[in-house]
Amino acid sequence: MIRYIVQILGLLLLLLGATLVTLKLKHRNDDGPSVLFPGGKLISGALHEGAEPDWSFTDDVFTIELETANPVSSRRIFVMEHNNRLYVPSGYMHTFLGKLWKDWAFGVSDGNDSAVARIEGVRYERTLVREMNPEVIEGVATKLAQKYAGGVTPETVKAISQSVLDGETWLFQMAPREAG
Amino acid sequence: MSNSLYWKVCLGVTALWVLGLLFVPPFAQLVEQLMLLFLSTNAR
Repeated sequence: MIRYIVQILGLLLLLLGATLVTLKLKHRNDDGPSVLFPGGKLISGALHEGAEPDWSFTDDVFTIELETANPVSSRRIFVMEHNNRLYVPSGYMHTFLGKLWKDWAFGVSDGNDSAVARIEGVRYERTLVREMNPEVIEGVATKLAQKYAGGVTPETVKAISQSVLDGETWLFQMAPREAG
Repeated sequence: MSNSLYWKVCLGVTALWVLGLLFVPPFAQLVEQLMLLFLSTNAR
C-alpha cells in the first residue's frame, strides 16, 4: 500500500516539474507574459510618444505587463499611481524564492533599469528608479492597500510601508525614459 | 506495480502531459489557472 502511495506521489511530482519547465520554456519568447509565467519582449501595441498621460486611469487597471532587459523578459505586475507617477512593487526580496523569482528586480538594481510597460495595449518606455522616500512610500502604500489589500487601514498602510522600508518589498517608480 | 512498469507509466503519462501543455492551449490554460488558484489560496 505504501509503495503505491509513494509511486503516485512520485508521478505527481514528476508532472509538477514537467509542467513548470514546459510552461516556462513555452512562454519565454511570447509577446508578453502568461498568467503565471514570464514572457519575452513586448512587441504588439502602439508605442506612446509625447507628453506624460494622466496616469489616474491605472486605478482601474489590475495588472500591467512590464518588460525588463538583460535578459529580456516580461511579467504581470501590480501598478499604483501616486501624484501622477507610476510605481510597481517587487516583494519577497529577502527570501530564497524571491532571489530566484525576482531576478528582474535585482537586475534593475544592477543597472539594467530600462523597461517597457504595456498598459491596456499601449507600450510606454520607462526607466525604473527605486523609491526610498518615506513620504512617497506611504502614499504608494496607501494606494496599494486600496487596490490590492482589501482597503485602507492604518495598520495595512503601516505594514506595507514598513515592508518597503525594510527592503522586504522593493518599490520602483516607472519614470519617463529621458529622466533616466 | 513493478519498477520497470512504473517507469514506463511515468514516461508515457509525462510525455502525454507535456504534449498537451504544448499543443492544446485550453489544457495549458486550465493547468495555469489551477496553479494560480492554488497559489492565491495558499501563498502567504
